[in-house]
Amino acid sequence: MRLIFGYIFVLIILFSFQNCTPTRFVKPLEKKQNAIAANLGGPLIHFGKAVTPIPFTSVMYGRGITNSTTAFGSLHLTSLLFGNFQTDIGVCQRLYKNDSLKFGVTINPAVNMVYDKWNKNFRAWPQLDVNVYKDILKQKAFIYIGLTNWFELSSTKAHNENQTNHILINPHIGMTYNTKKWGYTLEGKFLQMNKNNKPNVVDYIGIQQHGAVGIYLNFTRRF
Amino acid sequence: MRNLFFLIIIFLLSSCLRLDDNLYNITDKITEYKLDNYTGENDFVLDNSYHIQDSLVHLFTLSSKASSESVATTISAIYIGSLSKIKTDTVIMYCHGNKWHMDFYWQRAKLLAHVSGKNKYGVLMIDYRGYGLSEGKPTEDGLYADVDAALQWLKINGLSDSRLMIYGFSMGTAPACELTAKPRSMTPSKIILEAPFASADVMANDGSGLNMPGSFFTNLKIDNAEEIKTISQPFCWIHGTNDKFLNIKTHGEVVYKNYKGLYQEAHRIEGADHGEIPVKMGFVNYLNTLSTFIKK
Repeated sequence: MRLIFGYIFVLIILFSFQNCTPTRFVKPLEKKQNAIAANLGGPLIHFGKAVTPIPFTSVMYGRGITNSTTAFGSLHLTSLLFGNFQTDIGVCQRLYKNDSLKFGVTINPAVNMVYDKWNKNFRAWPQLDVNVYKDILKQKAFIYIGLTNWFELSSTKAHNENQTNHILINPHIGMTYNTKKWGYTLEGKFLQMNKNNKPNVVDYIGIQQHGAVGIYLNFTRRF
Repeated sequence: MRNLFFLIIIFLLSSCLRLDDNLYNITDKITEYKLDNYTGENDFVLDNSYHIQDSLVHLFTLSSKASSESVATTISAIYIGSLSKIKTDTVIMYCHGNKWHMDFYWQRAKLLAHVSGKNKYGVLMIDYRGYGLSEGKPTEDGLYADVDAALQWLKINGLSDSRLMIYGFSMGTAPACELTAKPRSMTPSKIILEAPFASADVMANDGSGLNMPGSFFTNLKIDNAEEIKTISQPFCWIHGTNDKFLNIKTHGEVVYKNYKGLYQEAHRIEGADHGEIPVKMGFVNYLNTLSTFIKK
């Protein structure tokens, strides 16, 4: 009976977790360096007897403004398929770098915007990512941990009910392996860790009935 | 500037995929209605004391024409009770949920045929277009047109507005609200909503934790939370506190709170999940609750 609305559940969470993208940049690009990236992945759910990630896709472009600052913008392809223009635009700013210990701290302030062509609804959510990375494998790769935070500024939600969720906290951990031109990233995210996932419409793979675990792949080409 | 232009073009040409067609759960195909002989999945099965004699079970078809259609659609219906007594009986129009077909809801309809005593009230149930053996493809307009076709049939058979009760379960709360708020063929005198759906906006809010509009994924206009504001008829709300699909707080409580009519009563069923209300309440308690409300 739980799946009373059938496979709508799977489709709804394509949108329910639109705040599901991997961290855009953990380390800034070099000045005037460009990068394009393709992202694939999403929250894990029980689908029948299987466990599967929801395949969110997005593409991104970034450019190094300075050696410490990279600007980026993205287009969410899955949303686009459904007539929603969704983008996140922001910068990656290095706050601290320790060359001897080979680690650094960066933040990514960004704005997520969605506009649907059906009802002309527009929403925007500020986002702030914080990352700590550590170079490994003779700087061919780095590992990182961080927090992706979405902020809901609206004081109300549907039917003028009070909005009680004003911050969605998504901790993540990942690793990037770089070749001369390409970067390959695998990231795990604990989506909406501060939000109870029961009761809800899908069987999220969460932790202690909170949030959902997400898995993401990111392919970046620098030029 | 050129990039922006391309983005706009991509957006305008973006696919028209919507979730609307996937909202309707019609996956279980049948070739005939088996009713008591149905052995598929069920929320519960009543014992023999709830048996309805064959002469009081009427399986038939109706023609339903939505406003956007040029040709009527044939839908299936079941009436439980004596056809000749529709002129004098109270009748419950049961709008079933989104799952499959009337075989799945047969036990529920049979149970309703025991409100205030066996076959005291008539019960009419239909399969919306695309469900069960009903022809066509499900649409929101079709839902309303199909239930209205059933109400037309009741009217033709002698039912008056004062003896019409409308009962919606889950997705069935949409036509129940719509046809009570904006009556077509008949005006229900009372409305009962079991596990109501508030709106697509609430669904999107619940899933995302953000103030995300439902229009990001569906064109459905179902909005019981707003529609209930215009309903003045007495209202009975029943919802499980453990409803894992339609959260009692974000869906049911909002619908209940928005009601501004003459009389309302709430039954929050402790521990009941979406389809478990009759079982968790106990059949006798469930029937007594409905009987008391209808007789009020």
